[in-house]
Amino acid sequence: MSPELLFQQALNGLSFGALLFILAAGLSLVFGMMDVVNLAHGAFYMLGAYVALTVVQFTGSFWLALAAAPVALGALGLAIEPLLLRHLRGRHLDQVLLTIGVSLVIVDQIGLIWGREVRSLPFPPGLDGTVVLIGGVYPVYRLFVIAFGVALAAVIAVIYRRTKLGMLIRAGVEDAEMLGALGVNTDRLFALTFAVGAALAGLAGVIAAPVFGLQPGMDVDALLYSLVVVVVGGLGTLGGAVAGSVLVGPVDTFGKVLFQEFALAVIFAIVALVLLFKPTGLLGRIRIAR
Amino acid sequence: MIEVRELRRSFGGVKALDGVTLTVGDGERRAVIGPNGAGKTTLFNVLTGELPPTGGDVRLAGAEITRLRPWQRARLGLARVYQRTELFAPLSARENVALAVAARAGPYRAFRAPPRSEYAAADALLERVGLAGRENAAARILSHGERRQLELAVALAQRPRVLLLDEPTAGMSPAETARITELISGLDRALTILIVEHDMDVVFRLADRVSVLHEGRVIADGTVSEIRGDVRVHDVYLGKAVSVA
Amino acid sequence: MTRAARWVALAAVAVGLVTFPYWSAAWETSRFATTVLRDMLVFAIFALSLDILVGHAGMPSLGHAAFFGGGAYAAGIASQRLGTDQLPITLAAAVLVAALLALVIGLLVVRSEGIFLLMLTLALAQIVFAIAFQWTAVTGGSNGLAGVSRPTLFGIDLSAPDRMYVLVAATFLVVSLLIWSLMRSPYGRALTGVRENERRMRALGYDTTRLKLSAFVVAGMIAGVAGALSAYSQRFVSPGDAGIGTSVQAFVMVLIGGAGTILGPVLGAGVVMYIQRVLSSAIPVSETVLGLVFIGFVLLARQGIVGLGRAAYARVRAP
Repeated sequence: MSPELLFQQALNGLSFGALLFILAAGLSLVFGMMDVVNLAHGAFYMLGAYVALTVVQFTGSFWLALAAAPVALGALGLAIEPLLLRHLRGRHLDQVLLTIGVSLVIVDQIGLIWGREVRSLPFPPGLDGTVVLIGGVYPVYRLFVIAFGVALAAVIAVIYRRTKLGMLIRAGVEDAEMLGALGVNTDRLFALTFAVGAALAGLAGVIAAPVFGLQPGMDVDALLYSLVVVVVGGLGTLGGAVAGSVLVGPVDTFGKVLFQEFALAVIFAIVALVLLFKPTGLLGRIRIAR
Repeated sequence: MIEVRELRRSFGGVKALDGVTLTVGDGERRAVIGPNGAGKTTLFNVLTGELPPTGGDVRLAGAEITRLRPWQRARLGLARVYQRTELFAPLSARENVALAVAARAGPYRAFRAPPRSEYAAADALLERVGLAGRENAAARILSHGERRQLELAVALAQRPRVLLLDEPTAGMSPAETARITELISGLDRALTILIVEHDMDVVFRLADRVSVLHEGRVIADGTVSEIRGDVRVHDVYLGKAVSVA
Repeated sequence: MTRAARWVALAAVAVGLVTFPYWSAAWETSRFATTVLRDMLVFAIFALSLDILVGHAGMPSLGHAAFFGGGAYAAGIASQRLGTDQLPITLAAAVLVAALLALVIGLLVVRSEGIFLLMLTLALAQIVFAIAFQWTAVTGGSNGLAGVSRPTLFGIDLSAPDRMYVLVAATFLVVSLLIWSLMRSPYGRALTGVRENERRMRALGYDTTRLKLSAFVVAGMIAGVAGALSAYSQRFVSPGDAGIGTSVQAFVMVLIGGAGTILGPVLGAGVVMYIQRVLSSAIPVSETVLGLVFIGFVLLARQGIVGLGRAAYARVRAP
């Protein structure tokens, strides 16, 4: 591999990692707070992309779509938590199973509303070009994804450390039941958490759509990668989501270049190694294996 | 039978076991007493292998078992009655005991109903602990006292060499306590028993020797009468908790 | 009913089931019904195998399709590469491959429980799907594996639809009986022990990790049998057979029917296949219906149809 190609692939890896972070951050947040792995996270991501498609069709504005999709998904999350999950509070496994049903319904409805053929979302104007970097041309949009991911991580970190909400989240990740005992309205907090998780999935869907397109099955890919990221990085912590994405993004990208169809085997190897030697994930505190 | 040397275990910064050394002879009945948080249950958890120690070692009948998995220790003859009842709730009393009987047999029979001998052995044990007639009752519908009796039957079904009893009379009525004490006291004298108990009457009735645990260390060790007379023991524990006549 | 009467009744049902295409031959819909029933029974076998994990051993797995798909591909590829349609050979290939996959994935996941087990099985099984989807030279890639030949057994050609059905129905009966006897044996009871209280089982001297791994492999092998039957029936293997959709399908069957029972997964397979194969031709939103039914059972009747039946029976008996 020439140095130019190496550099390009490294950027591609980082760009994919940044996208994975946006995607996994929501999954990780919901798990940290509610002990629920939201298996509808991929469906939320997919729905976000399709909502963006419609917004772009009607208004022509990618930026409006980038705002509208998370809002729509947030609203959906805000409805689903009290309607369904709340009834099984404390039964975490059953809550997870419930999200499987939610995912089935959403994906089927997407197929009915938008059809099942492959669609694409154009790059936003201004970000559709290329720049020359280290002797090669590189798409601007991928740099934008990296910048967006980094900015989002920074914003989340500031919210975590500097705001009352962040304090609540950190305390909730530690022990959500204790928050209830301290007089925090956990019903509202959980609904909000689930909504933010859904919104982040929707956001990731919009960001990813111009690069990867829209098609049936994208929900499964998104779910799989976000699960791998949180398992590798560590569940329930922001640092874990960052570490997982920064590792999995480039490894997957280089895996695809070097091993083509067996790229996922590389991911498999990483998951296996983490399970065997670091059952909490790289930066997590929750053991996922004995 | 059991030798514990310089056993340590800390949780974060808290030293639950801070160098426990303890030797229990063959067929001896040893009580471990101490105030709450002295490290008694941690000691049991390390002995059975459910918690790895941060230091020190454990020997069973001369063999080093510090690194063995819990199930391997059980196969070597270490059985435990838990403080909080740990049974198989939907299974019948008979099946609960039969699981322990079958554990010795392994590899496990597949495709055939369990052998009758297994259930016969289970029924005999249930009768011995006073649960005759309750063989078919699911563990979840048994009373608290009955569950403790069942726990004992399950542990005995393992044919242990060493029996660890973690507060066997906790939560029992005086009549139930008297009965289970009687039962334990009537067990085979060859069986080595390590017992954690708060009820001093039970301790003095069952134990040959007593070890006093305080802040993760053994602060006194002796026969029942020696311990009754030990001033330090009175200070940390007996004096506050119970009056010893 | 006495024990003997119950056995006679069961045997009558069994014979009726296996001979369905023959006594229903006069019906106008016999051919269609036979096909649907055949596919339902294939999935009943698959769901029964998953229930060994989900219901009996308490190991919720969302990756069971890896073994179903693995078995289907192995049977199809073995028949094509070896140029044989001998059932013992292709079926053995399916069971072997499924067992190997289950061993590898099982080794990595059996130390995890609950939600974590669910996540890991999902993620690891999806890698099997990706290999099936992308390794075009061997699996046919996204086009799937077409032209799988139907098997012969002892010189009997099973390619006719009614004979193919008989093979599936007979295998279903054998597998049900096998799982039933397995679950009432000390081995099955030990799995129940693991489900109810794994820590206590370890303290009793059971190597629970090995027990769980063995359950994983046994369940994987039976799923491989179901996969092979699917490959013969459809004469086609699709990468989707190894994908999460198939895993979810089986999980939904087990939960709707009632986990930890023999009848439950079979009923669940019936309900799901009815929605997907019969209802779907009437209404376009059948997957949505399936999702809603599943949500309903998780929310309101976690013990499934069998649980509902038991509760109703108890109410009738106790006035």
